[in-house]
Amino acid sequence: MQGSDQRPLGRQHFYLQSTLARWRRFLFHWRLFRRQPFGLLGLAIIAGFGVMAVIHPLLMGTVWDRARYDPIVGFDVDLESNPSLPSTEHLLGTDNFGRDVLSQLVAGARTSFGVGIVAAIVAVTLSTFLGAAAGYLGGMADVVLMGISDVFVLLPAPIVLLIFGLLLRLDWPVVGVLYGILTGLGVQAITVKAQTLTLKVKPYIEAAQIAGGGDGHIIVAHILPGLVPIAVVHGVLTVVGAVLTESLLSFFGRASYHLSWGLMIWLGQETFRWFSFRGQWHAILPPALAIMLYCGAFYLVGRALDEVLNPRLRRR
Amino acid sequence: MTKFIVRRVVRGLIALVLFQSMLFALLHALPYDISSLVPGGPDARLFIRRMYGLDRPLWEQYALWLVDFVRGDLGKSYLFYPMPVSDILRANLPRTLLLFLSAAVLAYLFGIWLGKMLAWRRGGLFEVGATLGGVAAYTSFAPFLGFLMINLFGWYLRWLPYQRLVDHNVWYQTTVRVDWLLGRMVVTALLALGAGLLLRRATRRLKSRPLRSMVRMGGLALLGMGVWSWWSRSGLEPLALDVLNHLALPLGTVILLSFGETMMLMRMSMLETAREDYVLLARAVGYPERVIRDRHVARNAILPVLTRLVLSLPFILVGSLVIERVFLWRAMGNVIFTAIEYYDLPVLLGVLSVIGVLTLVAHVVLDVLYVYLDPRLRYAEGG
Repeated sequence: MQGSDQRPLGRQHFYLQSTLARWRRFLFHWRLFRRQPFGLLGLAIIAGFGVMAVIHPLLMGTVWDRARYDPIVGFDVDLESNPSLPSTEHLLGTDNFGRDVLSQLVAGARTSFGVGIVAAIVAVTLSTFLGAAAGYLGGMADVVLMGISDVFVLLPAPIVLLIFGLLLRLDWPVVGVLYGILTGLGVQAITVKAQTLTLKVKPYIEAAQIAGGGDGHIIVAHILPGLVPIAVVHGVLTVVGAVLTESLLSFFGRASYHLSWGLMIWLGQETFRWFSFRGQWHAILPPALAIMLYCGAFYLVGRALDEVLNPRLRRR
Repeated sequence: MTKFIVRRVVRGLIALVLFQSMLFALLHALPYDISSLVPGGPDARLFIRRMYGLDRPLWEQYALWLVDFVRGDLGKSYLFYPMPVSDILRANLPRTLLLFLSAAVLAYLFGIWLGKMLAWRRGGLFEVGATLGGVAAYTSFAPFLGFLMINLFGWYLRWLPYQRLVDHNVWYQTTVRVDWLLGRMVVTALLALGAGLLLRRATRRLKSRPLRSMVRMGGLALLGMGVWSWWSRSGLEPLALDVLNHLALPLGTVILLSFGETMMLMRMSMLETAREDYVLLARAVGYPERVIRDRHVARNAILPVLTRLVLSLPFILVGSLVIERVFLWRAMGNVIFTAIEYYDLPVLLGVLSVIGVLTLVAHVVLDVLYVYLDPRLRYAEGG
């Protein structure tokens, strides 16, 4: 009977279909990503840092005595002098205030994730919505947005943040938000706009316009999904810049005193003799390597995603 | 074409004015100014504020500053009061630009070459080493990389000096100014580069490869000897060698920090370009792989990478903050730090504006070049 085929499908059915389609697309991309060895390596390193960020409170409660191993106010009364070299008690030694370096390193991962994620969310939100609006609407919106982007491209984020440091306390959320604004409105918005222009001339957009879709509806329902790949890549690469900027500000002693890897390096300088291999390397080397590994991992994942999500690069 | 250039320049000028207004607003929104650093009572503060014109209404200060800027006057530093900002810039900007522009060019060439190779030779130890090494250098913490270089080459191996731009023991009896010598060195380098390119172009038609490489080697050796004899006749070559010696470590650090990005972008761009139809055609015609890689793919893949290079121009200032602190130079980074610390608004405005103008000029030139080079864009912009 034809009648059963003609039965109007329920709304539920459509949701199920679209969810299934999304899941299939994700699996497809994941299979492509799995063939990127550097991307997988980066993902593994990020997962390691993620474990570090989560595990710190658990370790504080169980393995580590809070009075001795607290990353900020801990102090080991049994040690004769500080800073001390690595030992079985303190696997990476202590810094010049007698605080455990490993504990600080593990706790610093939280700040790095925080700064990176806040910056990525702010940057991607701004660049995607404004870039899509400018590209799709054109006209006045385009002129205004490109004017703003022309200006933000000229602003080097760390220097602007140094100036903002005179105006307000640079805690890590503030650094993340400001960095996100500065990068999101600059190059990223221009790239997103260019991508939107290539989407705008696709037949399905015209079909949606003829069917009577409003500008807002078309942007949200048809343009934004096409911008997801570029947004993901931008987000991942923003993390790198944000963490490096935060570390640099901490290293110059201009960020406020939240615990981070850059701050560890800044504080470690005092006991560390830069110009000899005999100095207290253990206070500086772990955070510096952590910054490099963390940012390098995100960079590798970003580039691998770029390769996976960019249809022009597939199937070589 | 003219219409496009005019439109682009107007857009650049609007961006410049907006940029300066934003900076001005930001700097004057700071809760303190330089008068709050002055010891003494409110009278002294008021005197300072009057002297610098900080007591006038904001729009008046802005208008005055803008008019002066258009006339090429950047005002006077608050901290070193009667000294014009342009003098500070003239004393500090050349060496910063020398270090970072030469590093940018070298890193760019190196990154382009590596990226080209990476895209063509997939798999193997070379890919792993180049990718991981480049990314590790690019994302390493800049001051730490600098200290690592100093430890290794300055202290452990004792090959290179690691502090300041010149050695006073070499320079103490000369009347030569460093900036003058730097200018001369840049001119020499540009002349040598031009001669090298001419040599390459002149020998391109030689058919046999051994003969060609021999002629090129001989020409390069002659060129080197010519440069050396020119410099040693002027008696400046110990000074120039001293500067080069001091330049080596910072230059190496900046190159290490920046080539990774170029490499990855070039690789991506090459892979994208290699899928074009004309590459398939070139293969079908039977060109050797090397010719396809260098002439057909790489030349077209360079443009997006060049864009990235121009976009990263303002970040010279960030690099100079770090590198000059690590290698104890006194140049732009030092100026910016001092200006931020002492609320020296004219210096900050001047420095950022000049860098902004340089970047904008580069943007406009790049856009025009793009339209000129790409016929598709040329027709779209109305010839």
